[in-house]
Amino acid sequence: MRPAATSIILPLASLVLLLLVPLFATDSYTRHLFIIAFLYAVIASNWNLSLGHCGVFNFGHLTFFGVGVYTAAILSKTIGINPWIAIVAGGATAALAAFVIAAPVARLKGIYVVLVTFAFGQLVMQLVLSQAQITGGAEGMVRIPYLRLGDYSFIKDYKLGYYYAALFLLVASTLFLLAVVRSPFGKSLKAVRDAEDYAAARGISISRQRITVLVLSAIFTGIAGGFYAIYLRVASPDVFGFGTLSLALSMVLIGGTGTVYGPIVAALALTFATEALAGIRGLEEARFIVIALAMIVVLRIAPGGLLGIIEKLNIGERKTAEPADARN
Amino acid sequence: MGRLLDISQVTAGYGSITVLRNISIGVDAGECIGLFGPNGHGKTTLLQTISGLLRPAGGRISFEGTDITGARPRDIVNAGLIQSPQGNTLFGDMHVLETLELASISRRARRGRDENLRRVFDLFPQLGERRSQKAKTLSGGERQMLSIGCALMCSPRLLMLDEPTLGLSPRLKKELAGAVGNIARSGVPLVIVEQDVEFLLSLTQRLYMIEHGEVIREIDRANAPDHDSIMKLYFGEAVH
Amino acid sequence: MIDTLIATLVSGLVLGSLYAMMASGLSVIWTTLGVFNFAHGALMMIGAFVAWTVSEAAGLGLLVGIASGTLAAALLGVLIERLLVRPYYGNRNMLLITVMTTLAAMIILEKGAQMIWGARLKQLPRLVDGEISIFGATISAHEAILVVLAPLILLSIWRFTVRTNVGRSLRAVGQNQRSAALIGIDVPVAFAIAFGLSAALAGLTGALLGSIRFITPSMGAEPLVKAMIVVIFGGLGSLGATAGAAYIIGIIEALLILWLGLYWTPFVLFLMMIVVLVFRPTGIFGSSQ
Repeated sequence: MRPAATSIILPLASLVLLLLVPLFATDSYTRHLFIIAFLYAVIASNWNLSLGHCGVFNFGHLTFFGVGVYTAAILSKTIGINPWIAIVAGGATAALAAFVIAAPVARLKGIYVVLVTFAFGQLVMQLVLSQAQITGGAEGMVRIPYLRLGDYSFIKDYKLGYYYAALFLLVASTLFLLAVVRSPFGKSLKAVRDAEDYAAARGISISRQRITVLVLSAIFTGIAGGFYAIYLRVASPDVFGFGTLSLALSMVLIGGTGTVYGPIVAALALTFATEALAGIRGLEEARFIVIALAMIVVLRIAPGGLLGIIEKLNIGERKTAEPADARN
Repeated sequence: MGRLLDISQVTAGYGSITVLRNISIGVDAGECIGLFGPNGHGKTTLLQTISGLLRPAGGRISFEGTDITGARPRDIVNAGLIQSPQGNTLFGDMHVLETLELASISRRARRGRDENLRRVFDLFPQLGERRSQKAKTLSGGERQMLSIGCALMCSPRLLMLDEPTLGLSPRLKKELAGAVGNIARSGVPLVIVEQDVEFLLSLTQRLYMIEHGEVIREIDRANAPDHDSIMKLYFGEAVH
Repeated sequence: MIDTLIATLVSGLVLGSLYAMMASGLSVIWTTLGVFNFAHGALMMIGAFVAWTVSEAAGLGLLVGIASGTLAAALLGVLIERLLVRPYYGNRNMLLITVMTTLAAMIILEKGAQMIWGARLKQLPRLVDGEISIFGATISAHEAILVVLAPLILLSIWRFTVRTNVGRSLRAVGQNQRSAALIGIDVPVAFAIAFGLSAALAGLTGALLGSIRFITPSMGAEPLVKAMIVVIFGGLGSLGATAGAAYIIGIIEALLILWLGLYWTPFVLFLMMIVVLVFRPTGIFGSSQ
């Protein structure tokens, strides 16, 4: 098969299938799962941009999501701005947050990158908790305005509108990621990740690169956060917790760091898998254990004992250079 | 067999890279041998393999008649097969005395601890003076002494020294050579890895020249050509 | 005014003791293995739950409970090392992989505890009833025990690593694994001891904290996060610096609560932590290597 064929045809075929899903899945619950899965796919694949493609161990990616959630919630409910604009604004504030945290991250190494990005998430969560009159504190915010298009309310038709809006968001995010990864900038990311000293010697500014990557990875994550708030009509500080973080992390790891489609596929699979587990009585909590175990197993059996963040990445690299391997 | 250390047909390396190819070397009781040859050709890898830091892909290593192929480093040290590694950064934040005492942690060495400590301080009086100094504050020569001292604290039945004079000034080199000679005369068999053939010739009975992970020449000093021709041989070989 | 200040300093001392015990456990593992254990807070929680089960549910008494909690955490710590850390020794991404595997361990322990013990709040009785007055500031006798015990425990750990051969071998392994192996130290055993010791410390902290706070599956998260702040201030490199930073953070936190209230305090702490990292990437007391 011609290389270009698989790398274009497979995603396109998947997209067509996803476009047709609402014809078969007519109940709002199944559609709801798809919508959540699309949002997680956006989070995980964008996280992968910094984690996998650039090798920045950003533990605060969900912070960008949370910033998007609260931006959209506050703008649309408290200030009364059109929810559509509020969602997009979530992307802007998330990018701003990324820019703020990127300054220290660009200077740090190893475990301290993990610690400072994690601390940043905690910082934002504490800010949300302490500003209860604006954010609702620990209770969060409810009854956030829903989406409308002209006279059409998205709550109608068993979430049909939300389904297509979320899918559109995922497609836009994926095209954006593909464009970034395949640009000269994306290629320079790999150069830095694989040979930092060499790249520095060639005059690639690692700090500027890290800052750019974090900001780029925050944009669609923040928009997804905004969408999440408008769609669920609630904003809660839970989004900053370990639970969401580990779920999204497992999607990146299981899907394959350094690939664009991997985390998307994993997000869809894991959302439905965990939902299925949650349906079994007595196993509501066990699903998180199952995800954690899956994470451990993947880390263990990935080639070279996940020497992997790097090695798997190399597979991703070859794919970009010569898109023959359409594993995802 | 009766050899103290017997390495036969050992193959070893890192991952898919093979460094040692079917190498065979032996040390008899009461003997000092030297290993020399160009850098990066497997001398250090050989010592790592003997000490159990690397698991050989093939071959057999025995010490005092016991098979130690693939044994854990701790058990090898317990058996008295000791290595003083190259580089000798040791434990930067530990004091000299602390380090030496810790080096007698193995079951065999614990008994002779006080006696060994005296011996080390006799051999290297400088270490005695610096006993409460941190290892990272020592000079290069002193670090080397500490490394050899640690090895002596292990009560070696065979001592392997990996480039003990690497990067030292001629004066220090001479001093250390004297100390190593002392150790040899006290009856500890030695395996010395060195670039300095002159140094090796003054201390050892037999030399192995190692290139590309293989022994390419064994020189027995009893019936070897004289000093100058060995030097010529080495430099002649080493050119290509 | 003076009274308030003393009361604040004393409550800072209580917090500092708690953080010192948590953070020094993180530091022991970090200095020996170069691993950051995200499951540390969860091990603390397990210590509290096991202590509760043994002393309350089984009725064997508080001291037996505390001992069991400590032991259970230590065993789990050794198990985590064996299953989730050891496979990655020598891997050049070990640091990041173990961040993820220990995070997974944290989730398993937290959710597992929730399944075993349920979400209902539990609490241990206090070691000693009554209150104690220090310069006019009153704290419970149990808290006073924590304040006295913490430095004693830290001191004995410090002595252990300086005076005993086993303790010294942990330091040696942390500084140079290869050389440590060559003088006969069993490196894998040293790793297991470090993890066990650190986890025991977490378990003991949890069992003692279980009399002051409620025992819940997520009770370890907040102390873990605070311990992270501490190790950033103190650097991860040395036990003394970590313990010192713990007390400083405890007292700063108490003062901030006094001046800014409960809500702003964590925010300011995290902000300080990030600022510190920007200017001193290895901590205030950390040596820049």
